[in-house]
Amino acid sequence: MAFSIQVDGLDELMRQLGKLEDGGLGIAAQGLYEGAGVMADKVSSAVQGIATEPFKYAKGGKKRKPSPEEKAILANAKTGVAKFRKTGVNVQTSVGMQSSGYAQLGKVTKPIPQIANAINSGTSFMQKQPFFRKATSQAKAQATAAIENKIQEEFEKLDIG
Amino acid sequence: MPTEYTRLVAALKALTQGESPDPVITLPMAEDEWNTRPDTVSYGMVRLDFEVDALRGDNVKKATAYEGSVDLYSLQRDGAGWVPLITGALTEYCEGAWSLNTHMYERETGLFHWEWAFQVEG
Repeated sequence: MAFSIQVDGLDELMRQLGKLEDGGLGIAAQGLYEGAGVMADKVSSAVQGIATEPFKYAKGGKKRKPSPEEKAILANAKTGVAKFRKTGVNVQTSVGMQSSGYAQLGKVTKPIPQIANAINSGTSFMQKQPFFRKATSQAKAQATAAIENKIQEEFEKLDIG
Repeated sequence: MPTEYTRLVAALKALTQGESPDPVITLPMAEDEWNTRPDTVSYGMVRLDFEVDALRGDNVKKATAYEGSVDLYSLQRDGAGWVPLITGALTEYCEGAWSLNTHMYERETGLFHWEWAFQVEG
């Protein structure tokens, strides 16, 4: 992560970060929250772009597209940011479907993450549409910039020269 | 098509197991998707999925990064020996820029599915 703080050296940086109660972890978490939000928004938009066709059983080894019902389940599941996990000097989170429950699909009940995974990675009878992988790969630069900007902004507020 | 990708596809299509005089087994490998699922123990697919990022300058794209994926479907839990051969090809032609994205079992068909995502420069 390339954000810059003007200090004379590493010792000086450590001294400045030491002035913060949690060694800067709170600021890092705020930055991460911004970046994760960018990712979650991109994934939500990508769900809207999934191509569908009316449901039909994929017979004779042929492939089918996801059905409008499957797409609607993902759209309603909402994309969200997981609870932050702080371990030592690290802070982590994940972006995914907020609802990890089950959805009724015709006569069967299926886990929502399984439906998302089947569309994202494809199956032997469903065409692959890597909406999640595409959204997260393409949003990396934008998310990184959002994290940098937030951290920079918070450091400026602190004025710990 | 990026050169690295073209080389990877050629390498994946040339994957074989066994030596002469024993029958040499090849992995049916399609570019993009199979229109109809092949009637074999294992089969694969490789495709370029989307553009990830580009380095621009002088009003042109100087370099572009693409992301693609390789899929292996197999009726055997260990992938009938194709897994290390595919990952070996990915390491050789994608310079280590790949990862296992998913590994699933399809109850409906009895197939095990591996999906690797890779990035190449074009």
